[in-house]
Amino acid sequence: MKAAPFDYAAPTEVDEALALLDEFAEDAKVLAGGQSLVPLLALRMSRFDQLVDVNRIEALRGIELVGETLVIGAMTRQATIERDEEVRRHAPLLAEATRYIGHFQIRNRGTIGGSIAHADPTAEYPAIALTLGAEVEVASVRGRRRIDAGELLESAYTTTLEPEELLLSVRVPVWGARSGFAVHEIARRTGDFALVGGAAAVTLDEADAVARAHVVLFGVADRAIRLSSLEAAIAGQPVDQLDLAELAREATAELRPPSDVQATGAYRRRVAAPLTERLLRTAFVRARRAGDPTEEAAR
Amino acid sequence: MSTVEKPSAARFVGARVQRREDPRLLSGHGQYIDDVRLPGMLHATFVRSPLARARIVAIDLEHALAVPGVVAIWDGSALNGDAATPLWDWAGEGTPFPEVRALAEGDVRFAGDPVAIVIARDRYVAEDAAELVDVEYEPLQAVVGRELAEASTGRAHDGIDTNVAWSAASPTDPALEAAFAASAHVITETFRQQRHVNVPMEPRGLVAHWERGAEQLTVYASSQNPHQDREYFARVMGLPEHHVRVIMRDVGGGFGQKIFRTREETAVALASRRLGRPVKWIEDRQENLMAANHARDEQMTLRVGVDADGVITAIHASHLADVGAYPLMPAMMPGFMALEVLPGPYRFARYGWAGKSVFTNTSGISAYRGPWMMETVAREIMMDVVAREIGVDPAEIRRRNVIQTEDLPYTTPTGREYDRISPAQTLEAALEEIGYERFREEQARARAEGRYLGLGISTYIEPTAGAQGPTGIEAATVRVEPSGKVNVLMGTGSHGHSLETTMVQVVADQLGVPIEDVRLLQGDTAVSPYGGGTAGSRSAVIAGGVARISAIKLREKVLELAGHLLEAAAADLEIEDGTITVKGSPGSSIAFADVARIAYYDPSRLPEGMEPGLESTSRYSAPPATYANSTQVCTCEVDVATGEVRLLDYVVGEDCGVMINPMVVEGQIAGGVAQGIGGALLEHLAYDETGNPLAITFKDYLLPTTEDVPDIRYVHVETPSNTPGGHKGVGEGGAIGAPAAIVNAVADALAPLGVRVTSQPLSPDRVLAMIDDARSA
Amino acid sequence: MSKQLISVRINDELFEGEVEPRKTLADFIREDCTLTGTHLACEHGVCGACTILLDGEAVRSCLMFAVQADGASLTTLEGLAPEGGPMTPVQQGFMEHHGLQCGFCTPGFVISAHAFLRDHPDPTEEEIREGLSGNLCRCTGYQGIVRAVQRAAEITREDVTA
Repeated sequence: MKAAPFDYAAPTEVDEALALLDEFAEDAKVLAGGQSLVPLLALRMSRFDQLVDVNRIEALRGIELVGETLVIGAMTRQATIERDEEVRRHAPLLAEATRYIGHFQIRNRGTIGGSIAHADPTAEYPAIALTLGAEVEVASVRGRRRIDAGELLESAYTTTLEPEELLLSVRVPVWGARSGFAVHEIARRTGDFALVGGAAAVTLDEADAVARAHVVLFGVADRAIRLSSLEAAIAGQPVDQLDLAELAREATAELRPPSDVQATGAYRRRVAAPLTERLLRTAFVRARRAGDPTEEAAR
Repeated sequence: MSTVEKPSAARFVGARVQRREDPRLLSGHGQYIDDVRLPGMLHATFVRSPLARARIVAIDLEHALAVPGVVAIWDGSALNGDAATPLWDWAGEGTPFPEVRALAEGDVRFAGDPVAIVIARDRYVAEDAAELVDVEYEPLQAVVGRELAEASTGRAHDGIDTNVAWSAASPTDPALEAAFAASAHVITETFRQQRHVNVPMEPRGLVAHWERGAEQLTVYASSQNPHQDREYFARVMGLPEHHVRVIMRDVGGGFGQKIFRTREETAVALASRRLGRPVKWIEDRQENLMAANHARDEQMTLRVGVDADGVITAIHASHLADVGAYPLMPAMMPGFMALEVLPGPYRFARYGWAGKSVFTNTSGISAYRGPWMMETVAREIMMDVVAREIGVDPAEIRRRNVIQTEDLPYTTPTGREYDRISPAQTLEAALEEIGYERFREEQARARAEGRYLGLGISTYIEPTAGAQGPTGIEAATVRVEPSGKVNVLMGTGSHGHSLETTMVQVVADQLGVPIEDVRLLQGDTAVSPYGGGTAGSRSAVIAGGVARISAIKLREKVLELAGHLLEAAAADLEIEDGTITVKGSPGSSIAFADVARIAYYDPSRLPEGMEPGLESTSRYSAPPATYANSTQVCTCEVDVATGEVRLLDYVVGEDCGVMINPMVVEGQIAGGVAQGIGGALLEHLAYDETGNPLAITFKDYLLPTTEDVPDIRYVHVETPSNTPGGHKGVGEGGAIGAPAAIVNAVADALAPLGVRVTSQPLSPDRVLAMIDDARSA
Repeated sequence: MSKQLISVRINDELFEGEVEPRKTLADFIREDCTLTGTHLACEHGVCGACTILLDGEAVRSCLMFAVQADGASLTTLEGLAPEGGPMTPVQQGFMEHHGLQCGFCTPGFVISAHAFLRDHPDPTEEEIREGLSGNLCRCTGYQGIVRAVQRAAEITREDVTA
């Protein structure tokens, strides 16, 4: 199980990397953490003439709060994100979801940019980016642009990134007061890709009605998806009056998840409902707690 | 009941002695097959069929041969003729068998079938070239599916006009039918077990080195039995046995997969002879999952008659096995063994059976830890089915049927003779340890809260150390070197089960020397006496037995010589910690090392007629089988919203006779249980209907992890066997008992929902589907 | 596909070599540096047998190319304890509690346990099980491994307080 030959470059500057990507286009592949790409190369399920290793570009690493946005360099390791105080404070969902990614040895290498660009439909980070309404900043020799996570994820292992483009950073908006989050997944074993996973982010108003809600499932389609009809149905509704079980059932009834050797599509659809219910329930509880002054003080 | 004398100074046998293997393995200095490097060594890889069944129309090597660094590429037509005989042949009356050749020739018969061997300067280059070998296939209908094979219009093999590899049944027995007719209840159910792979962490591999001039083949093997390998390579390569040497150093697990040498290993040896250079092949994980032998893939239908109290009156068992394309053992083996062992721990007189094995276009079946264990799966799940059906507690129904001490000796309906077993005791011990009554109360409380807890029991008798043919005997040479240090030479095949420690414990006890002064040399046919290697839980019984016999024989000589030197009767001497002393006269002693030195260097001081040196070789022919017994009990919780199963508690009560090293015994049990957990919950080498394997990476073939195997507790009952050390085998029992215990626990948890569990693995989607089916029924 | 010259410090020894970019770090360690204590059991990043410390962090050496480690400092199983010196608490724990049988997965477990204990000096059993769930063992059923890590934590605490 050995990779086919390739040429390799490890630029230290973004511009160098962009020049290489521009030169080789489809024949090049960005090597980020490598935790998904290297197995694909080893199994010869993928091959490229040129790998552009961006691990030596310092500018792609780091976590910074800029206004109300947490800007995370694409090459920031998952292990760093998992432990980072800023992330825990301003994007707790991201920190919590990170623990579901593989195992600690994987998270020591895996990066946020690599994971999102890989667009595995069962992976955590693309789904969390969607849940939190994150954007990615990308660049090519022609310039920079920002892409909303919902626009970025096109289908399984496919994004709207051009081959010449490099993902520079992930921009995660900070959700305000009285926000609560939840993430959970059902997997065959700890650390496996999810059979079905999901995440929710909600904000409650003073009257405990839903001011804002994003609910995302992954593993149920060719990419992570938002349950827009559910989000619309609960918007403005008092939390206590929601029949979450029924809403979750309705919101997942039309899903047509894929089948594979680990689980049938019917199973994935079936458990999507209780999973969705659980996510909302947890997110609401946490949102209320986040608004509770005694809880705030305790933190 | 013990009639076996404990060793005179049992300081080591029975103790949790730390392993002698560990310092080298823990510091990175083991020597596994991929660590072997020889000058001029080349690397092999295989071109494998992507199709389950196809005609090979053409093979074009041109582009592949042009890759720089490629030394040779041979397909079947070029290489197979170098073999002197078919690789193995289990054909017999009514049991057809395909001609087994190193590489596919003319057609391919499973996805992964080796079509060509590529030899190159390194593995990277070899794989580059393998990709460029252009094979044109004409697809044929593949035979896939255990239950579909017999009626398939396709044929798994050219030249064999049936897919039935073996079929047999017990004679019609009117007494059996009468017993069923007289039974208060007769219950029939079919139990299915999916295809597994052994998955040793070190895949297959070898370095074959043909030494020109000496005309000798030296094979560095990842094996369980070097002497049988020597015999194999000698036969297949047409060499005299003394021109073959097999060396196995550290082996990264086998679990049955490394008992038999395989087609790829043969191709590598043939290639080495052609090239006159050492050739290494290290199987990668994808190859291991796709093309190394598979296991299980079987089903058993039981018809069980019981009286009104749940006492078994009659059983009929019918077994069906898928043995793949090229099984490594006779096609009858899975079925015959399972059917023969089925009566297990229960008393009943009337038994009938039928068995059938089918060829399919899938990877061949071979041994995997307890290769007959379908009997325990079917029988023990059935016991719970019967118990539930007639309203008897599952522990109670076993109590009513289990063989008691006063029943011994006891002969099963299949003629197995039990003595010195304790199945009733291990059953009770396990139930007590898990807290059976307490759990039932907890379960009731949980049910009231809408939580589903369950408990499963699995009771069995394990035939261990089956002794026949090449595995019937074992030899040990115990040699005290002139310095008094001891080398023990054996034909064992340790691949992780601690023989370097346990054999040394046995010998050190008998010789009365410090354990550090004894070392086991094994795994080299040029060094060790012929031995059967490892299979069938035989090492403790047969190897441990002969180590003891040989050490006792040598001890007698040591004492005779020491007595002569000390002018005392040998019977009045004792050896302790390397010193031989006249009992009661501490002043009158001689160091073990001095006796050794004199034995070698000072023949004039030996008694009249004594041969110089201190060495003894013994061979031991073991009884046909030695019976261990066990009960496994576990508890679980099932999440009925997601179908997830979580094991909560796990207890194994077992009797493997005199334990040489309880730490090692528990390690063997735990490893087996973990494999059983894998089989019950996770592992499945699935094929699609075209014969395409669907789980050929570790992302898809799921081994249990630290999170899937709970804490295991053990209760030991020690009933010595009638073998020299009083030991019984313990290698396979953990794996045999676990799946039924887990299935029963899940079924018990879901019993209020009317779920009956009869197949594995219990993946979340299957569990949920069973719940849905039961609810809609 | 030209070869590249790299230099990697492994167990405090500098290794230089010319490698094809596609050569994995694991193969470089085993073949070019002849440090065969690092094992390969899946080569696709699942089993963890090839785990090493890369600048102090546990990583799977089959999921990196050797060229990526140019200039890095690695520790493999061979380098944990000084040559001829005492075993580390983790190694000692594995020895005392039968944390290994065939030994093939052991390098990855021992290295992972070292990294894990550095971050969790006083772990619960649950944390140990979660922490080591990325390493596969087929022999032990993990019983001895979990105990070994508990014991290693205990030895380390004793050493600190002693």
